[in-house]
Amino acid sequence: MAEYSCLIVEDSPMMRQLLVFALARVKNLRVTEADDGVDGLRKLASARYDIIVTDINMPIMDGLKLVKRVRSDPVHKDTPIVIITTEGSHEDRQRALQLGANAYITKPIQAPQVIATVKELLKIE
Amino acid sequence: MVSQKSGRGGGASDAPPPDLKRERDELLHSISKGTRITEEFTREHERMEARLRELETENASLRAKVETDSAVRELLEKIEQLEKEKRELMSRFHAAEAASSEVTARVQEIEAEFANLANLFVASNQLHASLSPRGVMRRIKEVLAQLVGAERYCLYLSSADKSELVPVAFEGIPGERVTPVSIERSAFGEVFRSGAAAVNEDRDPSRGDFDAPAAVIPLSVDDQRVGVIAIFSTLSQKQRFDTIDFELFKLLGQQAASALVSASLFAAADRKLPGLESFIDLSV
Repeated sequence: MAEYSCLIVEDSPMMRQLLVFALARVKNLRVTEADDGVDGLRKLASARYDIIVTDINMPIMDGLKLVKRVRSDPVHKDTPIVIITTEGSHEDRQRALQLGANAYITKPIQAPQVIATVKELLKIE
Repeated sequence: MVSQKSGRGGGASDAPPPDLKRERDELLHSISKGTRITEEFTREHERMEARLRELETENASLRAKVETDSAVRELLEKIEQLEKEKRELMSRFHAAEAASSEVTARVQEIEAEFANLANLFVASNQLHASLSPRGVMRRIKEVLAQLVGAERYCLYLSSADKSELVPVAFEGIPGERVTPVSIERSAFGEVFRSGAAAVNEDRDPSRGDFDAPAAVIPLSVDDQRVGVIAIFSTLSQKQRFDTIDFELFKLLGQQAASALVSASLFAAADRKLPGLESFIDLSV
């Protein structure tokens, strides 16, 4: 049976815990957590991930910079990226998608929406 | 050459005697009649044969028609039977479809319930994950911002004499608006006194403001009211409060203040854990 791996990049321990709970509902999905963009890049350098879920507003390196870096990484340049943010405007969404994000979820997050988005991007039934 | 004369009477003439002639004529007549009858019979026979062929053709045609009618009847019966089977199958299919939709709806309901419980668990877990007042306050703000979707809010605690609600933490509102409010003569005081949350469910909470907050939640420790959280407005994408938000309000009301009080007492005790003697005689 296929196994997928997901990297969550989020500085808030509460949001990370919530995302881990939500993504535990996706069968055969192994979740790894990173505290911020730099930690995320470190983890991406040491393993291959099938999907990345990242917050935008983070200290040290924010989510948009992370998206840019991931898109220039030959290993993960095609890896789907889900952006999670408090910004709900159309412009913010467009900016994130233009940078190379594949999906955009606004806070407060709804677990079923996160699950559905990840499943859709991984093409899991 | 001698010619022999024959015939009765032995006359010299070639003409037959009249009786023979009559017999001959009668014979000829009979033969002629027989011939005519034979011809008529032959024609009649031919007509009969033609008619027989016609009848045979007609018979074959009728037989084919009867057979066709029978086949059509059989086909109609088969169609009726198939229609009946189709109705039965459709009925079973609709029943299965309804059952499937019911199961799908139930699964979605359970998933939503699970998500709500996960939110409550995470919020509760985070509120009690710190024993520093600042850490607890940061977590209360996180629950408000990340789980409820509050954009502008303020946490007030009551003054020692219970006359005022004093702002201790806020977000998204100008400092000059953050002032103590009277418990006796304010809407926040009303919530503090009654212990019942005030939530305007008819209004889009993202459009709330300082004078008409989207929600005011009383904070209690045990049975004592200690303050309120006022959510003035939510993020623009959060346009109504859901069941989970009301559950989070209850959780904040019951646990936020007790987490703050515990952290404050721990800080006041120089972060010293209570001795074993504090837990003796606790068994009930």
